[in-house]
Amino acid sequence: MTKVVLEARNIAVRFGGLIAIVDMNFSVHEGEIVGLIGPNGAGKTTAFNVITGYLSPTAGSIVYRGRDLAGLRSNQIAGLGVVRTFQKTSLFGACSVFDNILIGLHRCGARNAWEILLDLPRVRAEEARLRVLAADVLDFIGLSARRSELASTLPYGEQRLLEVAIALAAEPSLLLLDEPVAGMNPSETASFMELVKRIRQRGITILLVEHDMRMVMGVSYRVVVLNHGRIIAEGTPAEIQRNPEVIEAYLGRGAARA
Amino acid sequence: MRRLLPWLFVVFLASVPQWMHDQYFLHVLINTGIFTIAAMSLNLLLGFTGQLSLGHVAFFGIGAYTSALVSLGFDLHFNDSYVFVFERKPVWFAFVCGIAVAGLCGWAIGRLSFKVRGAYFVIVTISFAQVMRLVALNWVDLTEGPMALNNIPPITLGIPGIWELTFLRKLPNYYLILCVAVLSYIVIHRLVHSRAGRAFIALRENEPLAASVGIDVTRYLVLATAVSAGMAGAAGGLYTHYVRIVDPDIFLFIYTVTMVIMVISGGKGTLAGPIVGGLIFGMLPQVLREFARPEAQWIIYGVAMMVIVLFLPQGIVPAISALWRRRSGRSPDRSDPESKTMAGLHTAPGAAP
Ligand SMILES: Nc1ncnc2c1ncn2[C@@H]1O[C@H](COP(=O)(O)OP(=O)(O)OP(=O)(O)O)[C@@H](O)[C@H]1O
Ligand SMILES: [Mg+2]
Repeated sequence: MTKVVLEARNIAVRFGGLIAIVDMNFSVHEGEIVGLIGPNGAGKTTAFNVITGYLSPTAGSIVYRGRDLAGLRSNQIAGLGVVRTFQKTSLFGACSVFDNILIGLHRCGARNAWEILLDLPRVRAEEARLRVLAADVLDFIGLSARRSELASTLPYGEQRLLEVAIALAAEPSLLLLDEPVAGMNPSETASFMELVKRIRQRGITILLVEHDMRMVMGVSYRVVVLNHGRIIAEGTPAEIQRNPEVIEAYLGRGAARA
Repeated sequence: MRRLLPWLFVVFLASVPQWMHDQYFLHVLINTGIFTIAAMSLNLLLGFTGQLSLGHVAFFGIGAYTSALVSLGFDLHFNDSYVFVFERKPVWFAFVCGIAVAGLCGWAIGRLSFKVRGAYFVIVTISFAQVMRLVALNWVDLTEGPMALNNIPPITLGIPGIWELTFLRKLPNYYLILCVAVLSYIVIHRLVHSRAGRAFIALRENEPLAASVGIDVTRYLVLATAVSAGMAGAAGGLYTHYVRIVDPDIFLFIYTVTMVIMVISGGKGTLAGPIVGGLIFGMLPQVLREFARPEAQWIIYGVAMMVIVLFLPQGIVPAISALWRRRSGRSPDRSDPESKTMAGLHTAPGAAP
C-alpha cells in the first residue's frame, strides 16, 4: 500500500460528561478516498474538528505526513494542506462567488502589507495571477456562469459546490468533506460523485463524511464506521455492506437502498 | 466613470476655498475633514473586519497628545535627583510620532484582544479610551491635566532657516487636511482591494471558514487595528496643531459615537460611506446652528439620524449603489468597486458545528 498521510492515534474527546469519541485509531493513505460513516451523533464532525484544529482532543494525537498537529491552530493546519468543509453551509455570504474563491486562494498569495501599501508591481502581478487561478477553480467546479452573483443568493446545491470550490482554492493535499451532498437532489449528487473523482485525479486525498450510502459506497476506496464515538468496522465498501455489526448499528434500511 | 468620480470630488473640494470665502465655513469644513479621516479609520475596522471599536477616540487623542507633547517638549520628574528632559522637536516630526504611537497602541490592543471578538472587543476598546482619559486628567506633570496643553505650535514643513511653510491660517490647514484625507483614502483603498483586505472581509463574514483556508485571522485583525489607529492618530495630530490646544475632554465617548454615526449612516464597509456620512454629520450641527433655534438643533440631528437608520439600514452609499445598479440593470460584478463589500453583514456566520 502507498504511504500513510493522516494518522489518528488514540483520539478521545469528552465534552464535560459526554464522551464523543473513544480511543479512535485510523489512517488515510496517499491518494485514497476514505468514507467516514456512522449514525447521527456518532462523532464524525467532532473527528473533523479535532483533525483540523477546531477542537483539541482530550487524549491522543493527529499526525499528518509525519508531523504532530498538536497545538497548531486551524489556519496553520490548513497551511500544511489539510482543508475541510463544514456540515452547515458556510460561505462568505456578502461576497461575490468570484471573491469567495479569491479569499480561498489566500494561501497562494504572499504579498505583505507594506508591499500592498506601496502598490509595488509584484502586488499587481500577484493579483492578476490569483484572478487567473480563481477563474480556473470556478471552471473546474462548474460555477463560472455565477461568478458575479452574491454567494448568499445562490441556490442551495450551488452553495454546497461553492464551499468545495473555496476549499479547493486553498490547495489542499488532504480534503475533508463533511456531508457535502446533504440536501442535494439525486442528479446533483450524481454529478458531485463525478466531481469527487476528478478532485482525486488532481492528486488530492479525500476523507468524506456522508449519510448518502450510494455516494459513499460509490466513491470510497475504504470505509471507516463510527458508532457512539467508537470505530466498529473498517474495510472496502463491499465488506462494510456485509458486516453484520454495521448493518445492526447503522446501515439497516440504508444497506438495502444502496 | 466610477474610477474618475473620487478624483472629481477631490478637485471639487480643492476648489471650495476659491469661491467660498467665509472663514467660519472654512473652519467647519476643516473640523468636518478631521472627523471624516477619523471615521474612515474606524470604517476600516468596523466596516471591513466587522469589529466595533467603541473607544476609537482613544487613538485620536493619543495622536493629538503625542504630537502636542513632542512639539512642545516636556520634562518628567522621577525623583528629586533625576529629571528627564525632552527637547521640543520639529512639528512635522511630532506629527509622525503621533501617528506611530497611536499605531503602536492599536497594535497592542489588537494583540491584547487576541481571541476577543464582538462584544468583548467593544469592551476592551471602551475601557482603553476611559483609561486614556484618566491618564490625561491625572498625569498632570506631563499633560497639565484639566488645565490643557496650550500654545501648541502649528504644523511646519521644510528646512528651518532656509525654507519653511507654516500651517497657521485656515486655508493652508484646509489643504493639508485634504491631502491627509486623500492619502488615507488611498491607503484604505489599496488594503481593501488586496489579499489583506480580503482577509479582513473574511474575518467579518465567517471567521471559522476563513481559518479553514489558512487565513491567520488574528494577525490580520492586528494589522487592521494598527493601521486604523495610526490613521485616527493622524487625524488627532491635525486637530491639535489646528486648534492649538488639547485637554482630556478629547477622549470623551461622544466623539467615538460621532464617528460611529458617520460610518453607519454613510455605509459601513464601503469606501465612500464614511466620507458621505462624515460630511453630513460633520456639517449638520454647524448648519443647524445657523438656521435653527438651539432646542431644535439636536432634535433635528437626532431625527435625521433615525430616518437614515430606519430607511437606509445599510447606509446611504449602498442605497445609492443599489439604485444605480437597478437603473442601469447591472448585476454586481468585480468592476464595481463597492459590490464586494456593500451588502453588509446580513449573513449569519456558520460556526464550526
Ligand atoms: N461543542 C460541543 N459541545 C458539547 N457536545 C458536543 C459538541 N459538539 C458535538 N457534541 C456532541 O458530541 C456528539 C458527536 O457529535 P458530532 O457532531 O461529532 O456527530 P456527527 O457524527 O457529526 O453527527 P451528524 O451525523 O448528526 O452530523 C454528539 O452527541 C454531540 O451532541
Ligand atoms: Mg456531523
